[in-house]
Amino acid sequence: MSKVVGIDLGTTNSLIATLDEGQPWVIPDEDGELLLPSYVGMNEAGKLLVGRSAQRQYAAAPERTVKSIKRQMGTDYRVTLGDSDYSPQEISAILLRSLKQRAEETLEEEITQAVITVPAYFTDAQRQATKEAGEIAGLEVLQILNEPTAAALVFDDRSEITENVLVYDLGGGTFDVSIVEMTGDVTEVLASHGNNRLGGDDFDRQLQRHLADKFRQAHDIETPSDAATQARLLQAAEKAKVALSTNAFTTVREPFLASQGKTALHLETEISRADFESLITPLLKDTIEAIDRALSDAQMETEDIDRVILVGGSTRIPLVQQMVENHLPGISVSSFNPDLCVGLGAALQAGVLSGEAVESILVDVIPHSLGIAAVMETAFGLTPDMFSTIIPRNSVIPTSRSQVYRTSYDRQDIVEIEVYQGENAIARENVPLGSFKIEGLPPKPAGALPIEVHFDFDLNGILTVTATEKGKGQQSSFVVNNAETGRLSSHEVEQSRNAIGSLFDIPAIAFAEEDETAEEE
Amino acid sequence: MKEHYERLGISAGATPAEIKAAYHRQLKAFPAHSHPQDFKAIRSAYEALRKAPNQQADDFFELKPIEAELDQDLLAELKQQATAAANVTLEELILLTF
Repeated sequence: MSKVVGIDLGTTNSLIATLDEGQPWVIPDEDGELLLPSYVGMNEAGKLLVGRSAQRQYAAAPERTVKSIKRQMGTDYRVTLGDSDYSPQEISAILLRSLKQRAEETLEEEITQAVITVPAYFTDAQRQATKEAGEIAGLEVLQILNEPTAAALVFDDRSEITENVLVYDLGGGTFDVSIVEMTGDVTEVLASHGNNRLGGDDFDRQLQRHLADKFRQAHDIETPSDAATQARLLQAAEKAKVALSTNAFTTVREPFLASQGKTALHLETEISRADFESLITPLLKDTIEAIDRALSDAQMETEDIDRVILVGGSTRIPLVQQMVENHLPGISVSSFNPDLCVGLGAALQAGVLSGEAVESILVDVIPHSLGIAAVMETAFGLTPDMFSTIIPRNSVIPTSRSQVYRTSYDRQDIVEIEVYQGENAIARENVPLGSFKIEGLPPKPAGALPIEVHFDFDLNGILTVTATEKGKGQQSSFVVNNAETGRLSSHEVEQSRNAIGSLFDIPAIAFAEEDETAEEE
Repeated sequence: MKEHYERLGISAGATPAEIKAAYHRQLKAFPAHSHPQDFKAIRSAYEALRKAPNQQADDFFELKPIEAELDQDLLAELKQQATAAANVTLEELILLTF
C-alpha cells in the first residue's frame, strides 16, 4: 500500500507530513527545512522558483513572485508569471506539486493520495478550489480537512473524561476558532467560526503603512509607490513583526528606499512592541468576538471550556495570547507546535481514511448554513426571496435534511430552487451555489401543492439537492459542485496539470542530462 | 424514541453518560467516511436522545409496570357498604327498582 500524506497548504508556509507506524512526522526538504514558504516565482531566465528561492527574490522582483495565493482561492483572480497567467488553483498546485515531489524523493515511492487542510470557515467555493489544486497537482484528495480540527487530532493528552477544548487558529491569512469535545480518541467539533481574511498578512500591512508614515515624517516625501519599494517595505514590516514577538523594540533599516534629487533617502526607525500592538488591537478584537459567537453556537459558557490551544504562526504574538487569556480567565492556554500541528493532523486523518491502524474518530461540522430562496412570512407580511435555511451552520456532516414548501400562487406550474450558502436573511445577500427548476406542475390553488426539498451534504462537501412534487412524485435533482465560480472540467484539470508539469520539467531535464554525463565518465 | 435507543444499542432510561458512551461505540463501528448512512442514523439518534431533558421521565412510549398498593382501610369500608347493600329484602328491592 502506498504512503498517504497530509498537506497543510498555508497562506505563508506549507508542509507535507506522513505516518510511520501511526505516528505523524513532517517530511523535510533536502536542506532539512520542514516548512515550504508559500511563494511561487519565476527567475529572469523563466525558470520556476518555489518556496525559499521565490521568497528571496520577492523584494527584488515582486512582479515575478506570487505570495499569499490562498487569499485568492475560490475567486476568478488571475496572476501573471512570465508569459502566462495562472489561476489561484494553478499557483496552489505548484506548491502542492513541489511538496509531493519532496515526499516522493524522501519516501522513494509515488504519492497519489492526500488529505489537504483548509480554514474551517472556508466557503464551498474555496474548498472546491483547493480540491482542484490537488487534482491539478496529480493528487487524489481524500478529504478537505478543517485546520483547527486537524490540530485537535494531534492533541494526545486525552482521557476518557470529556474535555471541551477551544482551538484558536490565527495564521498568515485566515482566522478560525473551533470548539471541540475530546473524549478518548473521539474528537467532535461542536462549532466553528472565523474570518477568511484576517491573519499575519494584515498585521504586516498595518506595519507597512506605519513604516511609510515614519518615512514621510522623516523626509517629508511619500515612499515611492512602485511595486519593488512597496515589496521591500512589506518585507521589512514582516521582519519587524517577527522580531517584536521576542523583543520590546526593533530597528527597521531600509537604505536607499527613495531619492530626492541626488540624495539617497533611507528609512531608519525604531518600532516598539506597544506601537505594533496598538496597530493590530482592532483586528484582534474581531477574533475575540468570534470566540463568543462560537461559544454561543456550541451553547456553552466560558466556564464550560477546559482548555485553549493556540495554533498558527500569528499566535506567537504576545498580545494574541494575552487577549485570549484575558477573555477566558482561569482557563489554561497552551500552544504546541503551532506551525506543524495542522499538517501532522492531516497525516493522521489520511491514515484513518486509508485504513492504517490509527485510532482516531472525527466528527466535524459545516461552517456556513445552506438553504434556498423562498417566500416567507416576515414582519412585512409574505416576502419573496427570503433565505430559508435547510442545513443550519454547525450541523454535523455528513447530513441529510428535508423541508416541505408550498406553491405561492394559483396554478403555479414551475418552481425554481435557488441554493445559497450563508447567514443573511435575504437570500441574495448569501453566496449562490446554483439553481434548477421543476416544470409542468399540475394546476392547483396557491399552497395546495407541497414540494419537498432534500439536501444531502457529504464529507467531501458535495451538496445534492433534490426537489420532489409530492402529488405526482415528479422529481428533479441537482448536484452542487460550484457552478458559480466555474468548477473545472476534467479536461481543464488535465490542461492545467500539463501547463504546470512543463514548468517543473525544465529543471528535471537538466538534472537528467547531468546524470548521463556522470555515467559516461 | 424506542428506535433511537435501539440504534445506539442501549435500553431506554440510559443516563446521559451511557448515551454518549454508546454513541462513541457506534461511531467506531460506523465511521462517517466509510458508513455515511449508518453514521447519519447514529447521529440523529444521539441528537434526539441528547435533547430529551430527562431521559427517564420523558420516555412516553416505554411500557411501565403499574405501581399501586391496595389501601386496606378503604377496602374494609367498601366491604361494609357492599354487605349493607346486600342486606335488603326482596320487597325492598322491588320498591327500589320500581
